[in-house]
Amino acid sequence: MDYKFVILILNGLTQAAILFVLGSGLTLAFGLMRVVNLSHGAFYMLGGYIGYSVVIATGNWPLALLAGGLSIALLGFVFERTMLSRVRGGDLPETLLTVALSMIIADQALVYWARNPVTLNVPTYLSPPIKLLGFTYPGFRFVMMGVSIIIALSLWLLLYRTKLGAAVRAGVDDRETVSALGVNIPVIYTAVFVLSAFLGGIAGVLGGSYLQLSPGGDAIILIYSLVVIILGGMGSLGGAVISSLILGQVISFGLAYAPQYSYFLIFIPMAIVLSIRPQGLFGRKL
Amino acid sequence: MMTVRGKFWKYLLSLAILMALILLPLYASQYTITTFIRIIYFGFLAVSTGFLIGQGGMVSLTQAAFFGIAGYGIGLLGYERGVPFPLADILSIGIVMIFASIFGLIANRTQKIVFLMITLAFGQVVFAFALQNTTLLHGWAGIRGIRPFVIMGIDFNQTGNFYWAALTLFALGQFFLWRIVNSPFGLMLNGTRENSQRMAALGYPVYWIRVAAFLISAVYASLGGILATYNTGVITPTTMQLSRTIWVLLMVILGGASYFWGPIVGTVVAVWLDVLVSQVTERYNTVIGVIFVLTVLFSPTGILGILETVRKGGGLPFLHKILNRKTAPQ
Amino acid sequence: MSKTVFAVVSTLIAVSMLIAACAPPATPAPATEAPTTTEAPAQPAGEIKIGFISAFTGVFSSFGTMQKEGAVLALEEFNYEVAGKKINVIYEDDQLDNEQAVTKAKKLVEQDQVDILTGLVSGDEGLTVGDYMKDKNIPVIPMYSASEDMTMRAFYPMLVRATWTGAQSQDVFGYWLATEKGFKKIYQIGEDYSFPWNEGGGFVRGFCRGGGEEVTSVWFPPGSTSDFSSMIASIPLDQGYDAVYYNGAGGDAVNFVKQFVELGMLDKITLVGQSNTFEKPDLGSMPKEIVGSLSAHHTTDDLSTPEWIAFRDAFSNRWGHPPSAASEFAYSSMRMILLALEAVNGDVSDKTALVDAMLKVDMTKDPRGPVTLDPKYHSAIENVYIREVALDDSGELYNKGILTVQNVSQFGPYDPELYIAQPPDGNTYPTGKCSELPAEMLQGGGYEYLPFGQ
Repeated sequence: MDYKFVILILNGLTQAAILFVLGSGLTLAFGLMRVVNLSHGAFYMLGGYIGYSVVIATGNWPLALLAGGLSIALLGFVFERTMLSRVRGGDLPETLLTVALSMIIADQALVYWARNPVTLNVPTYLSPPIKLLGFTYPGFRFVMMGVSIIIALSLWLLLYRTKLGAAVRAGVDDRETVSALGVNIPVIYTAVFVLSAFLGGIAGVLGGSYLQLSPGGDAIILIYSLVVIILGGMGSLGGAVISSLILGQVISFGLAYAPQYSYFLIFIPMAIVLSIRPQGLFGRKL
Repeated sequence: MMTVRGKFWKYLLSLAILMALILLPLYASQYTITTFIRIIYFGFLAVSTGFLIGQGGMVSLTQAAFFGIAGYGIGLLGYERGVPFPLADILSIGIVMIFASIFGLIANRTQKIVFLMITLAFGQVVFAFALQNTTLLHGWAGIRGIRPFVIMGIDFNQTGNFYWAALTLFALGQFFLWRIVNSPFGLMLNGTRENSQRMAALGYPVYWIRVAAFLISAVYASLGGILATYNTGVITPTTMQLSRTIWVLLMVILGGASYFWGPIVGTVVAVWLDVLVSQVTERYNTVIGVIFVLTVLFSPTGILGILETVRKGGGLPFLHKILNRKTAPQ
Repeated sequence: MSKTVFAVVSTLIAVSMLIAACAPPATPAPATEAPTTTEAPAQPAGEIKIGFISAFTGVFSSFGTMQKEGAVLALEEFNYEVAGKKINVIYEDDQLDNEQAVTKAKKLVEQDQVDILTGLVSGDEGLTVGDYMKDKNIPVIPMYSASEDMTMRAFYPMLVRATWTGAQSQDVFGYWLATEKGFKKIYQIGEDYSFPWNEGGGFVRGFCRGGGEEVTSVWFPPGSTSDFSSMIASIPLDQGYDAVYYNGAGGDAVNFVKQFVELGMLDKITLVGQSNTFEKPDLGSMPKEIVGSLSAHHTTDDLSTPEWIAFRDAFSNRWGHPPSAASEFAYSSMRMILLALEAVNGDVSDKTALVDAMLKVDMTKDPRGPVTLDPKYHSAIENVYIREVALDDSGELYNKGILTVQNVSQFGPYDPELYIAQPPDGNTYPTGKCSELPAEMLQGGGYEYLPFGQ
């Protein structure tokens, strides 16, 4: 069937949308702070669950999207201010704190959202079945792609057209000098971490609406985010875009042609890039 | 520092501990022995991770995968294909070494955080493959029915005998590790941890030192995996899942990564906590997560670090830290 | 560094061992949301302990909860007491991790010293725990775990399964689809582990015996893939497949069915499910368009026998929602255990006598239909219902029974020795082409399909 390929490509773009929202915040946080937030998967999951509760309570999906993002942003803020900033300076303690946080979040999520996989219900106005070329495609997936494009553009504007963005980019390049120039680095760190958490929560609501949220899902999502940023290059927004697109297609076609190895296939582009260019496609030499 | 009398008490205490450990099966309940066996095989995994972190400054998250690969080796070769006792185990360790070489050669081209992420990814690749491959590895179901043997008339299916075998193996492992840590190689490894650029400038092959350390740690992880598989009788992909990997890291830091005995202390605490906590609540992960946060924030050198500081008369270190909101780099 | 540290470590180990050696044998409180369950201080003489391992977390967790609800209903009917002894149930969550399942089983056997072990949701849990328990001389009663080998190739006398195997209902289903519906080619998408392999195996055998030609199979890892749209897009629509047989359950099934409908496939090809695909709790999350979809199981939501109605009402009153197959199986198995304990007067010292008592319990009035236990293989002989998804008066989906088949055994119409001599079901066996099955497996009859509701 001709249109099978179109569907597969569209599926790949849908996956890419989520991967980008997931990976963009993480890569910025890493590039600037040299901290990999290993609780990013937990942020995704928690944001999704909170969004789910909001949808159950109010039926308002856009509200849930916002709630998911903002609640995790708040969590990120509190976490960064009270804990991460205390151990700033050593990479390892910061990473370990994020690891511990991920365990706690995952465990508490079990208590409040039970153990069943859940899916957010998307209202029909956001998910009209779209008839294309003789097949139907769920409209919600286009919504997702739209959201992620908006986010990509906003991030780009933020990074390249604002002072904060300039400071972030400078900080990614050279922390010490930026600080010596009088820019308030701790504030920027907090801002970037909060942004990254916000994006993680949004990704959770998106992902939870088109797929499902389940216990243990945070581990899978974390790995996906890591693969996106390792492949794209840590600290590079453009790299995150490209690697999301590539990985999205790999996942989609992998599921079609080799579903038995679907999860395993995403590591292949990563492994190839790592052996030739360890800093990723667009990363800086580390 | 220690008086002669002090030393005498210290040695007496150590001897008492040793005797208690050796005689355990004679006075403790079967479940206690089983728990100690768990401590030993997870201890190997913790020692493997702790060696790299403590001695080499390398945080590797692949160890759980090596643990699992060794287990699959036993399952596939020993149980399914009937390869006899020491050969199956040796081959399993050999298989792990092959993987460790490939991963080690690639991963050690990076350092620190990137090294952590890449080893994490490698570990998960192995997990994903085991989960999805059904023809050879039976996917999610894994392999079951594995039993330890009767060797030279001793039946290792008996919990007590198995415990003694595991204890002996662990003691030997620690002994050899002690020798390695205090050997010239160990000192070189410490050097690369402290300042790799300087070591390189001095002409040391930093890359190869790290690869060698990685391989050594893989051996310990595989020993743990072999014991675990014999003891539980099954090997499944979940042995290598992310949460297990994180748990191991936690144990090591909890005990004190820079101390030789830190990892095993951490393992004892983590496993016993599991037994105790699970009788009261299912929220073991939250409990241990919180403990971990507190450890990292207030005593990054772990339990042994706390004890050492206390012993040296430094008071309780975390009180100082709570009162002194530190934000500057350490 | 070392010497201080060594002393300290030694002290730690010593202390922990003292705790271990001196601690009284623990009576752990069942650590779940169970409303009641006894809190009896251990009176070993007057107490019977039942260990209950289930998957309360993970992709099949809805089944674990349902299972517990069914078991608790039975326990409450007996007031947690048999022949003057208190029943103490200890619940353990193995989080759908086979290694955890063994660890918990060890704890239940070695620390808690249970007299009976039950629970078990998924096929592999059952096989793994069953294997561990082989030589422990404790009766093992799997409630939902359906891998056939537990009562066939991996059978041992302490195991009693009063419920089902994967193939049992699917052989009936496949045969019916081939003979009555005239299907010739089926496209199977299945979760890649033992239970769907067994369901698929039974399905292929029945289907081929009934005149079908081919079953093409695509397997995927359970739980880690939630996006089925690519797999769905790859379903060939121009190669004459009569139906898509989705061989999966729980969260995976909900996603698959949703995406199947969203991609407009329901208009293009028929969808049928395995036994668990359309089970009640998950059915509520599925789109209403799937009305008419077929499956086969040993219960159905609209049974009208007095026994079922009594059970269903008691269950709904207790838990606030109707029961599913997993609940009924748990209820039925727990009742069997309790009735057997009554028959031996609460004396659990002779486990073989206890197992014998279990096999002799009269289950002809079981809520889901008459059940008898095969004395040689300790498995259930019972009804199979073919049902379709329908809308009830309040607009909710439910499974409506269409046909009943009585007295189906785990071997179907086959001779037990012949059946067991075949290779176990896997993802490459049976192969897709019916012509490749051995001739003996293609012979033999079918079933008598009675209209539902008698």
